[in-house]
Amino acid sequence: MTASTPRIAVAPDRPFITLLRYNRPYWKAYGIGACLAVLFILFSLLTPVIIGRIVAGFEKNTMTYALVMGYFFTLMGLSIVEGVVRYFQRRLMIGASRHFEYDLRNDLFRHVERLSQRFFHKNRTGDIMARATSDINYVREFMGPGVMGTADMVRVPFTLGYMIYLSGKLTLFSLVPLPLISVLVYACVWYMNRQSKVVQELFSLVTSRAQENLAGARVVKAYGIADRESRDFRKDSENYMRANIKLVAFMSFAFPLIGMIVGAVLLMVIWQGGNMVIRREIDLATLSQFLIALIMLAWPLAQFGWVLTLYQRGAVSMKRIMSILCEAPDIRDDTRTDPNAAVTAGAISFRGVSFKYDEVLVLNEVSFDVEAGETVAIVGPTGCGKTTIVSLLTREYEPTTGEVFVDGRPLTQIPLARLRGALGYVPQDTFIFSDTIRANVTLGRPHASEEEIWHACEVAQLAETLRQMPQGLDTLLGERGINLSGGQKQRLALARALLRDPVVLILDDAFSSVDTHTEERILHRLHEVMKRRTNILISHRISSVAHAHLILVVEEGRIIERGTHEELLRLDGLYAEMFRRQQLETALEDVA
Amino acid sequence: MSEGYHFEDELQRKSYDAQIMRRLLRYVRPYRGWFIAATLLLILVALTSNLTPLLMMWSVDHYINNPTRLGADAAGAASQAILDMQGLFQMILIIALLVIVEGIVRYLQMLVVAFVGQKTMLEMRMELFDHLQRMSLRFLDRNPVGRLMSRVTTDIEKIQQSIVTGVVEVISDLLTIGIVLVFMFAVNWRLAFVALSPVPFVFITSYIFRKYAHHSFLEIRRKVARLSAFMQETITGMRIVQIFGREQDHANRFDALNADHRDEWLTQIRNFALYFPVVEFFSASSTCLIILYCAWNILDLGQAVSGVASIGTFFGYVFWAERLFGPIRALADRYNLLLEAMASSERVFQLLDTPEDIMDKPSALNPGTLEGNVEFNNVWFAYEPEQWVLKNVSFRIAPGERVAIVGHTGAGKSTIINLLSRFYDVRQGAILVDGVDVRDYQQVALRRHVGIVLQDVFLFSGTIEQNIRLGDTEMSEAHVRACAEYVNAAKFIEKLPRQYQYEVGERGGNLSTGQRQLLAFARTLAHRPQILVLDEATSSIDTETEALIQDAIEKLMEGRTSIVIAHRLSTVQHADRIMVLHHGELRESGTHQELLAHGGLYRTLYELQYKGQDRHHARVANM
Repeated sequence: MTASTPRIAVAPDRPFITLLRYNRPYWKAYGIGACLAVLFILFSLLTPVIIGRIVAGFEKNTMTYALVMGYFFTLMGLSIVEGVVRYFQRRLMIGASRHFEYDLRNDLFRHVERLSQRFFHKNRTGDIMARATSDINYVREFMGPGVMGTADMVRVPFTLGYMIYLSGKLTLFSLVPLPLISVLVYACVWYMNRQSKVVQELFSLVTSRAQENLAGARVVKAYGIADRESRDFRKDSENYMRANIKLVAFMSFAFPLIGMIVGAVLLMVIWQGGNMVIRREIDLATLSQFLIALIMLAWPLAQFGWVLTLYQRGAVSMKRIMSILCEAPDIRDDTRTDPNAAVTAGAISFRGVSFKYDEVLVLNEVSFDVEAGETVAIVGPTGCGKTTIVSLLTREYEPTTGEVFVDGRPLTQIPLARLRGALGYVPQDTFIFSDTIRANVTLGRPHASEEEIWHACEVAQLAETLRQMPQGLDTLLGERGINLSGGQKQRLALARALLRDPVVLILDDAFSSVDTHTEERILHRLHEVMKRRTNILISHRISSVAHAHLILVVEEGRIIERGTHEELLRLDGLYAEMFRRQQLETALEDVA
Repeated sequence: MSEGYHFEDELQRKSYDAQIMRRLLRYVRPYRGWFIAATLLLILVALTSNLTPLLMMWSVDHYINNPTRLGADAAGAASQAILDMQGLFQMILIIALLVIVEGIVRYLQMLVVAFVGQKTMLEMRMELFDHLQRMSLRFLDRNPVGRLMSRVTTDIEKIQQSIVTGVVEVISDLLTIGIVLVFMFAVNWRLAFVALSPVPFVFITSYIFRKYAHHSFLEIRRKVARLSAFMQETITGMRIVQIFGREQDHANRFDALNADHRDEWLTQIRNFALYFPVVEFFSASSTCLIILYCAWNILDLGQAVSGVASIGTFFGYVFWAERLFGPIRALADRYNLLLEAMASSERVFQLLDTPEDIMDKPSALNPGTLEGNVEFNNVWFAYEPEQWVLKNVSFRIAPGERVAIVGHTGAGKSTIINLLSRFYDVRQGAILVDGVDVRDYQQVALRRHVGIVLQDVFLFSGTIEQNIRLGDTEMSEAHVRACAEYVNAAKFIEKLPRQYQYEVGERGGNLSTGQRQLLAFARTLAHRPQILVLDEATSSIDTETEALIQDAIEKLMEGRTSIVIAHRLSTVQHADRIMVLHHGELRESGTHQELLAHGGLYRTLYELQYKGQDRHHARVANM
């Protein structure tokens, strides 16, 4: 089943537009949040007004006990209302950013699932993971705290207006250094982000050095270079330490500096404002109000610098995420696909198929035909292109030239899901998900009955092993579960493929870790299963391919010998030589 | 649905462990002086920063709102105004000076703490690294690299952040709180009580909040880990996911994990959205109470100016109260972090306490040269108890002799290498080099004389030259090149973009197997061993490189005691002696011709493994 396309149209090269489109479902939350921000500032500005009234009351001796109590409860009430407004604002705006993050991450995941093997060869898992984790987080930080910080900027005009109303002269005094705070915070955060990256890189150097040292312990010991390794590790660790100290030293400098500038502005206002009070130009009440308003202004200004860096980082990350979202899936159902096409009999033909990967010719003019219900075996040295032949049949890659047909139809006509649904593939390197054995076996048929599951395990010679496990099919594998041996894993992979009841069964060197004895038993049981379908066998052991209807000997991407076992022996080529050598091997085991 | 995913549990200590703390402090001891300096600086910061409100109070009450001036007539007020302005200016200057001093002292203090913290952790990390270096292969084989890595990296980081820096911060918080309290009570103890009355609520709210927030935080971490692990697994297993058509199912499961993660965050957002306003409310109520108290007092006394409670006092107390709330909020959180770091420390110490199992004897020998006599005397060995890999193996190799060891996979061939270079110790019997037990040599000395080339060549990320030199700075460049030349590696190296300065990628990924073999030969030769131990690579290599390798092996063995685990016919044929190992026992020994004539195991092996090579080469030659 191919996952649905992203719900949101990604606008290439326009991260901001894409971001807006993603956040459209949450515009109400952001809108109400912004309104609450205005409400909040209106309430907050009442505080200095009331404190001004109190101070004025004392200056003019008009205060009464009743008034004091009234002001007290009003202030307390205001604080509660402010808190409630802030509570909803935070939940709405930051909450919306988490919903957005969830949408974006889901889309990214679904999109990645649709990409072909070519993409996964080009991009390392770690890079894709970084997009889905840290990059998405940076984008979210911009949409959450960033947008909320921006909304909070509405405080600036309101507060400023109030300050001008109180005293234009004092506002002028404080206005000169205040924007400096924004600039300073911006510069500081920018530098910190940059230096943090340096620290991170040096840290990963320390990590990889230690990793390499442990992985190469044998060489380190053999050449007695532990001291030198230790010296190098110390050098890396010291570099990391120095970069770290540099970062901390900068922060130690920047934070007190910003504090000092805010302090200086306050002192300046107290000094000049104090003089104005003494000169009776303003009263103490006005000065108190002004000071409180000033403190209220400093925070959004500092925040502004920080928000700017959030925006920068978010935009860069969004671009990186979009580079994946814009990657078009190169193998998918398209106009050539015939929705009614199906794989029924399982006849396979390769016609003049060549495949190039990174300019290297991996397959060269491969042609062969397999009738439905027949078995074809592919043998040849490692790296000769055997697995590639299978990858073209599963349509993980597309041939560079030539075409592959199943039941007389080109692969491109068959819906991808239906094609793959007809294949039972046991790959060379078994991949086991850290889940239960049941989940792993039923991977291709989640609703298989208990009977069917056990039958598949029976044929794959896995049932015996399962019965010995206390939790049987529900045993957990991987990480915290048990680890299967190589042979057990391969048998599980076989059961997984058999359970699909495939039209075409593909065994890609599927028994390399299974001992000869068990392999014989599996092959014996498989015989029944294989009779009813088309089979592709890739193996090193001649004994297991000898019965194939057609044996292809592949070397360096081309088929050099083809025929039945007897025909190939008569030919006395590479196949015959391999056969003789393996016979001797069996003989030697008997000697022991 | 996702029960299948498991992650290392957050190892959380339930209690503070004094023993671990003492051991941690031992690392800080060399920096005791710095630590004391930092604490003194902290006291200075706390003092100066809390002096400011006092001076503000003074400025308001004695200059800005000077009662004498306010009570005086017009002329008196005018002259007093000039005096007040001068006084205010002086006061502002003093405060400015204090602010600057506070800034500088704070800077110095943070710097000292960072320096001590980082330096301590560097030493701890080095100690751990060196300890790991001394651990035997037996230990390293049993402990996954990933687990050891997280000790060296994550755990050490956590200790640095939460303990070294954390302890100083706790001291700083306590000092600030203490000094603010002293000031507040000294100036007006009644008002201090009023102003501080919401503090217990702040503390309790913070404590409760931190408990929930911390729990949520750990949950989030777990959910992030699940999310990442699932995605990682899907990406690595994408072939299977796609071929078995599991895209929709995996997308749904990912969706569920993703939603789980989002919901936990929504809980955390609610926690924070609730906490901030509540604490804000308490600190606001402190301000309100101060106002109420001051106002009440002033009204009681019937005038706005009073020594007991003035407008200045009001401002001063508001400032002090504000300064108190930050550290109180922080203190509640630090304890949790401290416990977390304790768990990290425990893991690190556990590793440090694991004893080394192969150690040099105090009187271990370090000979300058060796003759190259090797002797195995009734050697028994097993990796796992009772599963004998070598059974009573005895042989003697004369200096300069070339011996080829042949046998089936698992016959015990590579174990002989492991034992000769003392990666493992024998269970019974002895291995003698120049008549001395290998356990009586210094490990470094022994291994300096035994050159090993393994099948799977391990290359360090770095240049070709660095990989030959392996950190030996005294080795001349000419020597490096000569060695590469001699073992036929120079040819391919000189074709590389930057030749000897070419960066081999992670684990040498960008070189072919054959090239890596040749590079390993050059490396071994460059270190001039007396005894050569070589595990020939089995993997198929193109004919041209194959010829180069065979020639190089010939050259390497010249004039050295050589033990080769042979896979090539030519190597076997050129050996002075062939030893046949079968299921851990030495079954046959002799020259190629002798053993062929004997018609035993070797003959079978020969027909199986080597004869084919003969044919193949004949075939290649005839083409």
